Amino acid sequence: MKQEIEGRRVAPVAVTGVGAVSGLGWGVGPLWAGLRAGRSAIRDFRRFDHSLHRTHLAAEVESFSPALAADPRWERLSLADRFAVFAASEALAMAGLAAPVEDGGVYFGSSTGGMFESERFFNEFLRGRWRQARLRDLTSQQVNGPGDAVARWLGVTGPVRTVSSACSSGALALGAALDAVRSGEVEVAVAGGSDSLCQLTYAGFNALRSVDEDACRPFRPGREGMSFGEGAAVLVLEPLERALARGGEPLAVLAGAGSACDAHHMTAPDPSGTGAAAAIEAALRDAGMPAAEIGFVNAHGTGTPLNDAAEWRALQRVFGERAGDIPLAATKALLGHLLGSSGAIEAVATVLCLRHREVHPVPACGGTAVDPEAPVALVVDRPLPLPEVRAAVSTSLAFGGSNAALVFSRVDR
Amino acid sequence: MKGQGIWITGVGTIGAYGSGAESLRRALASAEPPASVELDRSAGYHLSRAARKGLMVDPALLREWLSPGEARRMSPPSKLAVTASRMALREAGLEGAAEEGMGVVVSTVFGPTSYSEGLLRQILLEGPEAASPLLFTESVSNAPAAQIAISAKARGPSVTLCQREAGALLAVGQAAADVAAGRVPRALAGAVDEMTPLLHSLLDRFGAVARNGGPGGQEVARPFDRRRAGFLAAEGATLLVLERGESAEARGAGPRARVLAWGSAFDPTAAAAGWGTGHAGLARALRRSLERAGIELAAIDRIVAGASGSIGGDRVEALMLREAWADRPLPPVHAPKGVTGEYGGGFLAAAALALGTPFGCTAGFEEPDPDLGLVPHDGSPLPAPSTVLVTSVAAGGAASWLVLGAP
Repeated sequence: MKQEIEGRRVAPVAVTGVGAVSGLGWGVGPLWAGLRAGRSAIRDFRRFDHSLHRTHLAAEVESFSPALAADPRWERLSLADRFAVFAASEALAMAGLAAPVEDGGVYFGSSTGGMFESERFFNEFLRGRWRQARLRDLTSQQVNGPGDAVARWLGVTGPVRTVSSACSSGALALGAALDAVRSGEVEVAVAGGSDSLCQLTYAGFNALRSVDEDACRPFRPGREGMSFGEGAAVLVLEPLERALARGGEPLAVLAGAGSACDAHHMTAPDPSGTGAAAAIEAALRDAGMPAAEIGFVNAHGTGTPLNDAAEWRALQRVFGERAGDIPLAATKALLGHLLGSSGAIEAVATVLCLRHREVHPVPACGGTAVDPEAPVALVVDRPLPLPEVRAAVSTSLAFGGSNAALVFSRVDR
Repeated sequence: MKGQGIWITGVGTIGAYGSGAESLRRALASAEPPASVELDRSAGYHLSRAARKGLMVDPALLREWLSPGEARRMSPPSKLAVTASRMALREAGLEGAAEEGMGVVVSTVFGPTSYSEGLLRQILLEGPEAASPLLFTESVSNAPAAQIAISAKARGPSVTLCQREAGALLAVGQAAADVAAGRVPRALAGAVDEMTPLLHSLLDRFGAVARNGGPGGQEVARPFDRRRAGFLAAEGATLLVLERGESAEARGAGPRARVLAWGSAFDPTAAAAGWGTGHAGLARALRRSLERAGIELAAIDRIVAGASGSIGGDRVEALMLREAWADRPLPPVHAPKGVTGEYGGGFLAAAALALGTPFGCTAGFEEPDPDLGLVPHDGSPLPAPSTVLVTSVAAGGAASWLVLGAP
């Protein structure tokens, strides 16, 4: 079976397993239950002392010791590593595969890697308290830490790479994984992202005044900014034919990926939405799919005034008059912004919505109105059934103007 | 994965060796490491016996490429990266051309460390409300790539890779794949890193940096040498212009090199910041990669190795190459990090120049290590190569490679 893309016939790539850790819990089960209920995980948190920070909310992952923790390797992992390893293990098990993943590769996204643990080191080291600063807190500091941890845990010997392009990292990693599977470079790709809360980004985004003091309200009137989240998400990708031949149960097809850069400003998106639209259109071309076939959009939707407005304009460019009618999921309203892994967890959310043929809602927050300047068809309060849905787009629009989009379709499309 | 007529048409590089490919070429031919600079120790980060020096960029070199108004908004890695990108575009004959669809793929190991340090000082020592929005904006790993895109008006995909010492070759491979697949008409690909006293002191504390051990008391990187004890830490940036040969020919641009193949693999036995025992697996992956690209081992007549003087890293790389070549003799092996240092893209630039540059002896190498079974080139005259394998093995387990062909 082949997918027709711009005159080329390409073997479809299936998502055969998903795994997740988020403020809604450890595992895809709690994730979907929370998404479907429109339950926000954004609340007071204890990851670090935020009393002196400007805001005080985040979708923190609850403390939990999974069965994996019995493995002696677990102790040496950073939080972001643990999130990643759990999600990858869950995804692999769901796919019916086991480690070592031979002929496999790992494609990961992260913004801060093990920075949370490293802040403990720097808090001592920068004060000149050399003895109290433990070098081992830096071991997994770099952003490739979680992806490498997954590769070590699963015994991967194929390609391993980490993308660190801010908020589009996870989506770009999935795009790289898609290419790798299509080209035959790998038979199985373990792709996703992981980031944990840390003071660097918490304070940094607050310094930009990009953070809402209340829980974020993407596309809603009077929205004032983003909320933070943490966690990881992983998707297992393999050729659809291979999955079916070994008796696997594909969850969806990753039909296409695209990216484009605004080349406009370091923090503000191009207000015309041109770059974001270019990424979506590239993904649709890569999928060999017209925009008309898209049944819903999982938006980047941070809740910042500029981002949501630019994203609306991008949707208008791509979908024309349909833009205001296509059901839109704003996952960050429930999970917060997972930074480098946001694209990955929103990809998982998109797959789950496709699988269940319904789009998850955001909380009603005192009403269902959307910003009249960005009148998207936001799904609010209750899940929206879409029995005929065949395909969806997930968007990620990053700091520095790096935009990415993924197109997922139902296996039976 | 084999490229279909992917050319490198521009090389921009800046490091302790100076600005531009010619300055690096001279350094490689003479095998003289550039003068290393003692890093500022006033913050007290360094241990008393720590290495003292790094291969640092003279900031005055940036003035030709960046106006003060531009530079004031950029972190040091962004300045280095934009500088190198402008050099590369000029050499490729694309200076001033708005490159709507051009992609940018940049590798960085540590990101903008000085800005990250500054931000952490503000947050942890003064309080989170002291955090500077400018420092934060330019502290993210993808700041250099974003600044390149803004400078070049490059609106294709913008990707930043962080895969430690294997990242630079991965970036070129990613860009080559994008060009080959038609996702972008051309791409800027390369690596950037800045070296700061804090970073240098931490690398030293991890035992990664060569300490005072040369005959004159110098800190010397000794790639593949029996007495190797770490690398020379460096900063800089290298960006390459990659495009389809047809597109370059159409505007009269010639290739510095052709990208014939690229690939990567991972050694899961490696510790998070260390090295493993999986060189045989890496060798198998390298061989498979070459086979898929239709490149015979016998066609490779030069190797440019990423060996830096790292005790573990050089070992894994040597054993990987020995395993890949099995009972065949290795072609001549260059190990230019004795000149370029580790980090900052100098190695990538050396690789890109390898087809047209006679390399001198291997700087820092004096005594073979019998455990490695590999002796790098001694500087004797060699014919110009036609097919060069470039390899990198990273701490943490990743390995990457490119195959470059003569123009």
